[in-house]
Amino acid sequence: MSIPRRALLTGATGFLGRRILRELVRGGWSVRCAVRPASDIQSLIEFFGDGWSLASRQIEILPGNLADAGFCREITDGIDCIFHAAASLTGSVSSLVSNTVVPTRTLFAVAADQKVGRAVLVSSLGVYGPQKLRCGSVLDETCPLDEFPARRDGYTYSKTLQEEVARTISADRGLPLVVIRPGVIYGDERGVLSHRIALPLGSLLLRMGGHQQVPLTYVDNCAAAIVQAGQANGIDGETVNLIDDDLPTGCDVIRRYRRSGHRLRTIGVPRWAILWLARFNEWYSRTSDDQIPAVLTRHRVNAMWKPLRYSNERARRLLDWTPRISLDEAFQRTLQSTTSSSTR
Amino acid sequence: MSHQRYRVALVGCGQIADAHLQQIRRISCAELVAVCDLEPLLARQAAERFDVPTQFTDFDQMLGEAAPDILHVTTPVHTHASLACRALQAGVHVYVEKPFAVDLAEARRIVATAQKNNRLVCLGHDQLFDPAWRQCVELVSSGTIGDVQHVDSYLAYPLQGPFGRQVLQDHNHWVRRLPGGLFQNTMSHPLYRITEFLTDESPAIQAEWFSRNIEHDLPTELRLNLRGRSVTGTLTFTSSTRPCRRVTRVFGTQGSLEVDLDTQLCRIDRGERFPGAFAKLEAPIRDVVTSLRNLARNTARFWRAEFHYFAGMYELFQRFYAAIDAGEAAPVSDRESLRVTAIMDEVFATCRQNDYLSNSADDGDDGRVVLNLIRETGELVADACRSSHSPVGRPS
Ligand SMILES: NC(=O)c1ccc[n+]([C@@H]2O[C@H](COP(=O)([O-])OP(=O)(O)OC[C@H]3O[C@@H](n4cnc5c(N)ncnc54)[C@H](OP(=O)(O)O)[C@@H]3O)[C@@H](O)[C@H]2O)c1
Repeated sequence: MSIPRRALLTGATGFLGRRILRELVRGGWSVRCAVRPASDIQSLIEFFGDGWSLASRQIEILPGNLADAGFCREITDGIDCIFHAAASLTGSVSSLVSNTVVPTRTLFAVAADQKVGRAVLVSSLGVYGPQKLRCGSVLDETCPLDEFPARRDGYTYSKTLQEEVARTISADRGLPLVVIRPGVIYGDERGVLSHRIALPLGSLLLRMGGHQQVPLTYVDNCAAAIVQAGQANGIDGETVNLIDDDLPTGCDVIRRYRRSGHRLRTIGVPRWAILWLARFNEWYSRTSDDQIPAVLTRHRVNAMWKPLRYSNERARRLLDWTPRISLDEAFQRTLQSTTSSSTR
Repeated sequence: MSHQRYRVALVGCGQIADAHLQQIRRISCAELVAVCDLEPLLARQAAERFDVPTQFTDFDQMLGEAAPDILHVTTPVHTHASLACRALQAGVHVYVEKPFAVDLAEARRIVATAQKNNRLVCLGHDQLFDPAWRQCVELVSSGTIGDVQHVDSYLAYPLQGPFGRQVLQDHNHWVRRLPGGLFQNTMSHPLYRITEFLTDESPAIQAEWFSRNIEHDLPTELRLNLRGRSVTGTLTFTSSTRPCRRVTRVFGTQGSLEVDLDTQLCRIDRGERFPGAFAKLEAPIRDVVTSLRNLARNTARFWRAEFHYFAGMYELFQRFYAAIDAGEAAPVSDRESLRVTAIMDEVFATCRQNDYLSNSADDGDDGRVVLNLIRETGELVADACRSSHSPVGRPS
């Protein structure tokens, strides 16, 4: 595929999307951003700061509803590559499906009709089902998907369904598709303390295990790889995991937070205890008819906190990508801007 | 409790459908046979997550192929009448999520269709069956606070919650097209907590709606006064206070009672018996005793695993299914469904009138000339709402 120049970007007002936009503009693309009518454009402009007046010459912003085929026809007209980063991260399962999966189906179906050159779908590493992997093995693109995503959480379920819908359209209607599965994305506005590291309990943090690697990717590295996925040759149909080099463990992350002056109150929960807690939670939820829902289940524990290793070999090879920002620098930038110890 | 096994289906796989499916699964005489939604992905997620064997996007096909005995309607309100009537005509008993219908005319059509086809229709006034509310009603019936004089019903609505955010962000959201907007979808809960005690057919109404936040382009606050022959009521629907609570105070001739459905607490106040300064000690001591009683009660209920957010819904489903079994009337009567719908119609018409009056006062215009026209506007909005939507809509 020759280097395309006209991109459609969804989710441009989001944490990752605005960095993808910056990267596309830097790469010389002209970018059409499909946003929701109520999206906060002002904060996107503020993100670019003084650079906006120059960047905006390459940017066109179109508000509308991605679940509306008419709008999708308008925005895909003349587009070489779609970068689809729009998705809901929270809410009820039905709203996650309505906001993430339904728009993906409409957009990709129209894109297939319009013969768009490539669609890059930003999926998630969460779609894997590593429950059957042995502790210590490598999670790469050959790992099977979670057989029961509905038993995970609404977000994972919606991302799994989103991928399935995208792949079906690609196979049935010939839309060239590249699926990118980033790990936990962190950066200036978000911090690093994801649920893969610790769960918040009031003002306390329950450190979950702590000796397993955390599959992190710094948002700028992630955005650069996604843009590469839109322009690399011969990768249609490929699926690529995105994680940075030198992944830290949960304990490392907490140590780095403390060293940079953050006060974190943590209680470590060893892996065996997490599994027992999960058993207890499952049992109690069953016998109490869900008075306390089964939030911690063995299925989830073995997907989220299993000691695994992660590989970015395929991303390096297919996308000709290396994480530009090192772990040390990424942490420095993130922790400087993260004043609070909030978790997500 | 019911003996027969019922085939249960649900139409409208949105957020509230999750609660229905969860509670139906807890009922031993119910077998979930089908879910339906215009959007296949929504039908699919509901079927997958709640192990429902069949899923449909065509409502009539579902009625024909899944042959349910009971249908739960959890679609947006503008589709309720059409779906409920089609199901009733097909011989299916119907549970309709609140609010019953877009307006009284539609509500009457549902009730008439149920009666004509000899089927039950039950409106989802589920909080009336919440354990804390039942406790409050029992205390009132046993004369603890004397004769009820006034009910104060309060709802702090989470506008920044998942559903509220959708309504705020989506300017075409179906809720915005209802004659009563945001309130029509939610205010029946605090309203029927008043009408439980205020039993007049058509109480006198004073109402206004407004917005506190300049960024909100729709009214998000509602204040309502109701006056019946012997009981009055006030309803506060607010989107600006925290914590989000569903609190009701019932005032009687001999005392008052406060029930909080979120904390499941019920507090009685019968005044102080000691005079002067002693009363200032008696009151906090009584508070401590009440709190200890509530603590003991809630601990026992926790131990018995009785705390479920949708406990009222579960109880109402069970009673509805039992009523079908016994050939009795539905636990929420047709009269009550129609009465609450009529009051809501009147409330929204009054709010629109007040809106018009304040706007025309701002414009220096004499608004009274066209007041009567405004009432008719309510009917026009309802018509527009019906005609602008397809028969099976998005989730409620
Ligand atoms: N954050 C992570 O750790 C992580 C990890 C792996 C994968 N991902 C994936 O990366 C992508 C971006 O995530 P993020 O962290 O940047 O999320 P975010 O900050 O919440 O941004 C989400 C973006 O999607 C838009 N959006 C949501 N629903 C939409 C809809 N129905 N129609 C149109 N636009 C919609 C939002 O628009 P508004 O501005 O209007 O809300 C926003 O621009 C998502 O696909 C996510 O699944 C994230």
